[in-house]
Amino acid sequence: MEPAKMASPKSAPKDAQVMAQILKDMGITEYEPRVINQMLEFAYRYVTTILEDAKIYSSHAKKSSVDADDVRLAIQCRTDQSFTSPPPRDFLLDIARQKNQTPLPLIKPYSGPRLPPDRYCLTAPNYRLKSLQKKVSSSAGRITVPRLSVGAVSSRPSTPTLGTPSAQTVAVSTKVGTPVSLTGQRFTVQIPSSQAAVKSATPTTPTVQNVLINPSLIGPKNILITTNMVSSQNTANEANALKRKHEDDDDYDNL
Amino acid sequence: AAVASSSPGVAAVAAVPPGKGLVSGRASHGVALPGCGVVSCCVFASSFGLSYKLLLYALAVGGAVVVEDQPDVSAVLSAYNQQGDPTLYEEYYSGLKHFIECSLDCHRAELSQLFYPLFVHMYLELVYNQHESEAKSFFERFHGDQECYYQDDLRVLSSLTKKEHMKGNETMLDFRTSKFVLRISRDSYQLLKRHLQEKQNNQIWNIVQEHLYIDIFDGMPRSKQQIDAMVGSLAGEAKREANKAKVFFGLLKEPEFDVPLDDEDEEGENEEGKPKKKKPKKDSVGSKNKKQDPNAPPQNRIPLPELKDSDKLDKVMNMKEAARRVRLGPECLPSICFYTFLNAYQGLTAVDITDDSSMIVGGFADSTVRVWSVTPKKLRSVKTAADLSLIDKESDDVLERIMDEKTASELKILYGHSGPVYGTSFSPDRNYLLSCSEDGTVRLWSLQTFTCLVGYKGHNYPVWDTQFSPYGYYFVSGGHDRVARLWATDHYQPLRIFAGHLADVTCTRFHPNSNYIATGSADRTVRLWDVLNGNCVRIFTGHKGPIHALAFSPNGRFLATGATDGRVLLWDIGHGLMVGELKGHTDTIYALRFSRDGEILASGSMDNTVRLWDAVKAFEDLETDDFTTATGHINLPENSQDLLLGTYMTKSTPVVHLHFTRRNLLLAAGAYSSQ
Repeated sequence: MEPAKMASPKSAPKDAQVMAQILKDMGITEYEPRVINQMLEFAYRYVTTILEDAKIYSSHAKKSSVDADDVRLAIQCRTDQSFTSPPPRDFLLDIARQKNQTPLPLIKPYSGPRLPPDRYCLTAPNYRLKSLQKKVSSSAGRITVPRLSVGAVSSRPSTPTLGTPSAQTVAVSTKVGTPVSLTGQRFTVQIPSSQAAVKSATPTTPTVQNVLINPSLIGPKNILITTNMVSSQNTANEANALKRKHEDDDDYDNL
Repeated sequence: AAVASSSPGVAAVAAVPPGKGLVSGRASHGVALPGCGVVSCCVFASSFGLSYKLLLYALAVGGAVVVEDQPDVSAVLSAYNQQGDPTLYEEYYSGLKHFIECSLDCHRAELSQLFYPLFVHMYLELVYNQHESEAKSFFERFHGDQECYYQDDLRVLSSLTKKEHMKGNETMLDFRTSKFVLRISRDSYQLLKRHLQEKQNNQIWNIVQEHLYIDIFDGMPRSKQQIDAMVGSLAGEAKREANKAKVFFGLLKEPEFDVPLDDEDEEGENEEGKPKKKKPKKDSVGSKNKKQDPNAPPQNRIPLPELKDSDKLDKVMNMKEAARRVRLGPECLPSICFYTFLNAYQGLTAVDITDDSSMIVGGFADSTVRVWSVTPKKLRSVKTAADLSLIDKESDDVLERIMDEKTASELKILYGHSGPVYGTSFSPDRNYLLSCSEDGTVRLWSLQTFTCLVGYKGHNYPVWDTQFSPYGYYFVSGGHDRVARLWATDHYQPLRIFAGHLADVTCTRFHPNSNYIATGSADRTVRLWDVLNGNCVRIFTGHKGPIHALAFSPNGRFLATGATDGRVLLWDIGHGLMVGELKGHTDTIYALRFSRDGEILASGSMDNTVRLWDAVKAFEDLETDDFTTATGHINLPENSQDLLLGTYMTKSTPVVHLHFTRRNLLLAAGAYSSQ
């Protein structure tokens, strides 16, 4: 540490001189010049925090001005929070006595690396691999690829055709066109995620399941028959699965 | 009236209050710095129960929380009842001063020991009873009379001017509640007692009875020099009964090996037990001492891990190296090889070297731990699981094949701590590394994979030092919370808690037989603890500053300690006496190490020097016997100059670590600092 270069009395502000004097009184002769700045900052921050707290307490007690009791209370509450000290000696002696009564545990021979149980170690992997399985069996879940439709207007959720899962399979079997070229209005429908939660591979299935609007499916009454592009529940038969895969491939190409 | 009261003083606040709604606690400012301890903090606090954190602390330790009636802190401090008129305190004190100065020379030194504790207690009494101006003038008048080694404490005391200041200062509270111990010969004591009881105003006598413990011994009164050597700690000296317990300082028996004689040109390593054409030489240590050493602990006193094959190989290597060891002595001094850490910018805070001197580790203030290989062999980590599945497990050199050559390097950096790393320790089998840090944890790192395995959380405050046991498996740590803890690598909570110090535990070391632990503290005492039951078996006072270096002699009988006062003190563990004082260093001693056979003691210090001392001469012809043990001190010869064998200066590099290789080459380490 470099020896303190005492600023000439003319240039150092009074507070800095006070800090330097405190250090001198406590017998600290060598310190970096930044120490005084840090002490000043600490003092300022501490005092303003206490005074603000005191103001709050005094206004809570409906007093007209802040008095010494408020400040005392503020100091006490702050020190309980921020500045803690190690436990007192007799407390330590007490817990030491309890701890030292149990005999030392015997050491099991030939037990490999002697480490605590796994949950107290840091040896568990802190990552999990994402399963990117496109060629998936029917029971496997699927990664959902959220695609938000642009300029969507939320529709009334009471579209009758979208009630049940079975309806979805019906919808799937219809021709599903390309995901491009949406004409006319688009509707985004929110399908409750209870369907998705059952067999999902990843727990982060978005609740908004995006639907593709096939213009040809929009009937005269504006009832939408939509397909579920990204389904996390796949109870459909093989044909559907294949079709879905096909769709997904298209998706990825077009993305 | 009996002087020595049996109880160690009124206990301070007890355990968690049952059902008390408000849980507020005590607090203190300040950052805990190594070497300063708690003493230099200004404090404010409340006087109500224990904080919530304390409850968590108790639960974290794993013990049940004892719930009992909780006396208030003010009950403790009210031990400061008004002892008479505050304005007369100065008169009482100067009256005593006059009496002592007029007493006989032989008694004066001993009775002068009274000045400091009386001064402090009287001052604190005035402050507590809120006689601020009297306290101030009392302080002004008499603080200059105190011994120079108390000046630091007096400076802190001068900042305590109000009653509120006293309530939160842990160290001051401990000072109040534990009686200050003075050791005075019977004659001097009779003199004092007669004088104090004669006078009309017995105030001083009351204070003496209340706050001091006078340990009377039969013998010659001590000289000033003798007293100065032994005083200095926060609680006075050690009572003689504190040092009476039997300590098994002998070494454990080493298992017998057949060490085949071999020359330089013999090929390969011989495993133990393989007979050769030449008659194998048995390990001499094991075979000669068939009888149990009475001072050695029984083999199974504490459970120790069994020797694995790799450990046995290591021991064989050790013995071979020992055969080639240089015999050191005053005529044959060791060569010193210094490892300088460059570009550390005052960030090097801990160093350790393996027993076979193959690796060196540095703990840094930027919270990294860096391991270097000292030999040409690089540091290799084990291959990943994918690669491991490809190797041939049946091949002879499978242990080589599992190591990854591609990432071999001389330096490995270990990240994980969130604060400066203040202590590091290699395990004896070189598989593990421990590091302890300001963040309150001790981390176990694997040196096979160079990753962190476990974080041991127990101290919630900075941990200043840690060390593996000489047999592995156990390790000790000591920190700011004033306790040292014994851990085993396979338990996430400590096995033993060594509580008793009045200030931070700054240095922790195992005895060579792993049954005892020495701790040095900022309260200027060194304590020896028994691993089996956690009892404190020895208290050594004499240093005038926080202790930063401890070293056991290889035969286990002696302990060397170094502190910020620049003195190295030597202690006989069996008798519990100070047997030597080595003066010479001018600054804090951070490293102490005995040579492999105990002939030379090396000390490294902040004054950029390494000094070598003649240990054989220091320990011969000691007057330690039952009589001196009963008195508690021996005459220390002034032989520092005779014992000093050499002083070696570095170029402005404080010496942080010392290590004797198996062949008695001295390695030293430090960080270059450009001032």
